[in-house]
Amino acid sequence: MTGTRFDVDDPAVTRFELVREGARRDGVEIVHYEPRFPIPGTKAERRVERTVAMMFLLAGGAATAFLVAYIWWPYQYEAGANLTKLYTPVLGLTLALTLAGISFGVIIWAKRLLPHEVAVEKRHVGGSPADERKLTAASLVNIVDETDVARRPLLKFAVVAGLLPVGAVAVVPLVGGLLKNPHNPDALLHTGFAPGVRLVRKDMSPIRPEDVSVGGVETVFPGIPGGTTNEYADSPTLLFHLRDEDAAAAARSANADPVNKDSMYLNFVAYSKICTHAGCPASLYEQQTHKLLCPCHQSQFKVTENARPVFGPATRPLPMLPITVDADGFFAAKSDYKVPIGPGFWERS
Amino acid sequence: MSAKRRRKFDLKAVPGSVAGRLDDDLHIASPLRKIMNKVFPDHWSFLLGEIALWSFVILLLTGTFLTFFFDPSMEEVVYNGSYVPLRGVTMSRAFESSLEISFDVRGGLFIRQMHHWSALIFMAGIIVHMFRTFFTGAFRRPRELNWIIGVMLFWLGFTEGFAGYSLPDDALSGTGLRIANAIVMSVPVIGSWAASSLFGGEFPGTVIVPRLYILHVLLVPAILVALITAHLVLLLLQKHTQWPGPGRTNHNVVGERMVPRYAAKMGGFFMMVFAVTALMGGLFQINPIWLFGPYEASVVSAASQPDWYVMFLDGSTRLFPAWEIRAFGYTVPPLFWPTVMLPGILTVLPALYPYIEARFVKDKSVHHLLQRPRDVPTRTALGAMAIAFYVVLLLSGGNDVIADKFDISLNATTWMGRIGLLLLPPLAFWAVYRICLGLQQHDREVLAHGVETGIIRRLPDGRFVEIHQPLSAKELEYAGWAVPKKMNRLGALVPTVRGFFFPLEKPAPTPVSPAPQRQAIESAEEIESRH
Amino acid sequence: MSSEGPERRGPAPRRRSRLRRRVGAAGRLLAALALAGGLYAGFAPGAAAEDDPQLSPAAQDGKRLFDTSCISCHGRNAQGVEGRGPSLIGVGSAAVEFQVTSGRMPLAAQGAQAERKPPVFNNEQAQQIGQFIQELGGGPQIPDGDLRARDEDAIARGGELFRVNCASCHAFSSGGGALSSGKSAPAMREATERQIYAAMLTGPQSMPVFGDNQLTPEEKRDIIAYVQDLKEDKDPGGYGLGRYGPVTEGLAVFLVGMVALVLTTLWIAGKS
Repeated sequence: MTGTRFDVDDPAVTRFELVREGARRDGVEIVHYEPRFPIPGTKAERRVERTVAMMFLLAGGAATAFLVAYIWWPYQYEAGANLTKLYTPVLGLTLALTLAGISFGVIIWAKRLLPHEVAVEKRHVGGSPADERKLTAASLVNIVDETDVARRPLLKFAVVAGLLPVGAVAVVPLVGGLLKNPHNPDALLHTGFAPGVRLVRKDMSPIRPEDVSVGGVETVFPGIPGGTTNEYADSPTLLFHLRDEDAAAAARSANADPVNKDSMYLNFVAYSKICTHAGCPASLYEQQTHKLLCPCHQSQFKVTENARPVFGPATRPLPMLPITVDADGFFAAKSDYKVPIGPGFWERS
Repeated sequence: MSAKRRRKFDLKAVPGSVAGRLDDDLHIASPLRKIMNKVFPDHWSFLLGEIALWSFVILLLTGTFLTFFFDPSMEEVVYNGSYVPLRGVTMSRAFESSLEISFDVRGGLFIRQMHHWSALIFMAGIIVHMFRTFFTGAFRRPRELNWIIGVMLFWLGFTEGFAGYSLPDDALSGTGLRIANAIVMSVPVIGSWAASSLFGGEFPGTVIVPRLYILHVLLVPAILVALITAHLVLLLLQKHTQWPGPGRTNHNVVGERMVPRYAAKMGGFFMMVFAVTALMGGLFQINPIWLFGPYEASVVSAASQPDWYVMFLDGSTRLFPAWEIRAFGYTVPPLFWPTVMLPGILTVLPALYPYIEARFVKDKSVHHLLQRPRDVPTRTALGAMAIAFYVVLLLSGGNDVIADKFDISLNATTWMGRIGLLLLPPLAFWAVYRICLGLQQHDREVLAHGVETGIIRRLPDGRFVEIHQPLSAKELEYAGWAVPKKMNRLGALVPTVRGFFFPLEKPAPTPVSPAPQRQAIESAEEIESRH
Repeated sequence: MSSEGPERRGPAPRRRSRLRRRVGAAGRLLAALALAGGLYAGFAPGAAAEDDPQLSPAAQDGKRLFDTSCISCHGRNAQGVEGRGPSLIGVGSAAVEFQVTSGRMPLAAQGAQAERKPPVFNNEQAQQIGQFIQELGGGPQIPDGDLRARDEDAIARGGELFRVNCASCHAFSSGGGALSSGKSAPAMREATERQIYAAMLTGPQSMPVFGDNQLTPEEKRDIIAYVQDLKEDKDPGGYGLGRYGPVTEGLAVFLVGMVALVLTTLWIAGKS
């Protein structure tokens, strides 16, 4: 280091010079340092001080308001339009003012009261010094020599052969524990419906044909324990009561399809509610155009044509549930769905 | 027994002795000063990443509060709480505890809303910061690693947000989980196994919410903290990039030291991010789960979308045509491409972009100086293309809301999205490329011919000419930083009158050449004498 | 007249005979008209139910309104006109009241669907037209009494029914949603209780029919209780952003949050 040595203990050295020297030793040169208000006590300076003070006081006032509101403002649920609906907005406003006050105070202080400075820091150019590199490289390469693996092929083989299964041991319990066979039991191919299972409403009550309006649709579930819950999330079904001419068209399409043959009952047809694209309930029924729209990605299915997709990203028709009416006059499934319901997957043929 | 000696307790010496003790034990004097003296360049766009950083802190704080009240169990209960319209309804404990937070915990709804808004702001901050870094070339060597960490932070934030809003098990997020299940199932070969393993069986099962909970409060935050720390440490070690300008080279950083100025600005900005979050958390309702109801497989609402940072994938799913691959008894469903393949490409391609660009531009040198977007028209145009692509997907994610409120046919919006996705990016590329070239040309024109003064003179032969103020007697070369284009940037006009309610100083008299020194006007005596 | 001889008398008798001739001709004309009119009135069939004694007075008023505003698309006897309007036989007064009080009918122009607009007829007139259609062809009617269930569990029951049957088209907020090809399920913001009941009962346009066999009147009252509560219950979390969900929330993040924060960065730090 050239030049006069900086004497830290020299009593003539000012604090700023200490700061500057400290920065210098850290590779930073303070090239410009100028107080905002070289003459203290000017009106302009006092004005800025007052602004900053006001900001902090505003923050304090708003914080107090927040505390008061938090403790005493009514918040328990009450229907309609009342003060409880303002609890969260009041908290938000007071907290926002508090934080904004602190923010403005600090930033105005930094921008207008703190001295203006320009500092320059040196960057490292290139990598570490060449001698450091050489030393580190030598240390690293030496590890290989020290372990002498090149000269001990038996060790080399043993380490690799031994550690490989150990690596698997770390991973396998987590994966193995989580792993669950989707085909045993084969939930993907079965729903809650089976021969004779009744179609029921959400409240588990069975349905007669005269309980569904012409031109209407009803969401139905399998009449088994838990059939209406998420335990059977693949089972929700839409039961349609079509008008005569529409039912005739639907029957023509159904009977022309080897899978859907004889699945309708009179003017009633039942399709899976679970969209074959991504699994949302495809339940927007346009009664006059007989289109079923799924709200998630806008797939549209034609109810009078085996629910085949006519728009959107879905590629497979909604499966039809074969239905009939049992001895007591209630709707029942003739069998489970004949194809897997819901979105496609690799092994779905 | 000697007389009691009272040791005088010297308060003023306490900080010194504490600091001395700390340094004796830990040796921190030099490292501490080194960090305090680190220089940060001063530009507004360098603060955008802090939007994400401070939002993360707010998420940790508000999230911790929520964990004291939330129960991730999917066990079914019958609600009997204070929200009347849901009394008697069967729901999971997760949904019930979310309702309790919203209606029965004092301030619970406020904290919940702050948490959710903060998550949206976090992702928005990442995106604007990412684009700033991209368009200014800050990702170039030696910062490729930090860029890759950034891309990972985006996708981790994405996952964390998705897991977070799926925790209340409401109808909207439950529908999202259904779609997520279908997405996992759509992966070839392993799809159904992966979905079944994740959900513990068939959808929905009873373990997905508790598993997402652990992911959301422990695993992903831990990884996020580690990666954010790495991101900041790399920034500290490599020092921040800076704009070219007077005194700035590739071998220095010009700005202000961390303590106190920069730290004060950071702290103040943290408060502002918190203030905006609090404002939105209180004044704007978000995720009203009590209106959605609990998740049931047979229930869905019109206008179902994921949160905005996931919405672009909803858009890609809506736009993708009904193309399914069926061969040899196996299926690749149409859901696979827009939801698995596309995010895969959108992870790998951006992550590798620094290396790809370096290859193409044949540039292996180290860069600490930023580039103005206009000076790299190809990159800027590529970025514009990416933004156009992303915005079309984002808008398509909400196409049913747009169709309903603007009276456009839903089917038509789907087609508009499909066609727009193919047409708009190349159009954006071309348009932005030309704009960059135009801006570059204007810079050089001003350097060559001077600044337009706005003074029109009529020549004797009848022509009108505008007088230009040359910037220098010699020829100037473009140096990579902003060229002054207006007279007031040259200091050639009167200083603007500063002050909000009253002027801080009287405006100077009519300008003379050379312009009066700033120093003279702002001298204390003049200010004193005028007031 | 017949007593008059062939030879002419002086001017006075000529004047008197011309006058008498004319009076006589007028009298014959009047008699002939009276005879013809009387025969016609007696034997011609009655005009199109103008004064049909089978319709009630309300229905007659309704018929008058119908004849001026509706027959061009729905036909003289509400049997429908090909390509313009469907038959109204059997739709009932409920459907008429829904369509007319919400202003959808009379239709302004053919389009993807009829939209709510300022009604042309007031409630009384709408009910009269409804009564006419009811008496013409029968059909479902809006019941009397309170259409909104008032017991304390009604809102919760209605909510469950609403979420399964209605939310998929009308959205969880009852704010409406898009259907395919330009159609939409409308927002229920302005719908009255009678209109909501009638819509469920009759299934207008694309809406499925929820007859009383499928959704009992009690269940319909529960749903109406829920919908009205939805509208009356203010959002506890602040401004609801239209209750659209993530779309408007995302918009708010950028338009409010990010604008404020980026402006703050511009204020804090410098520009190049």
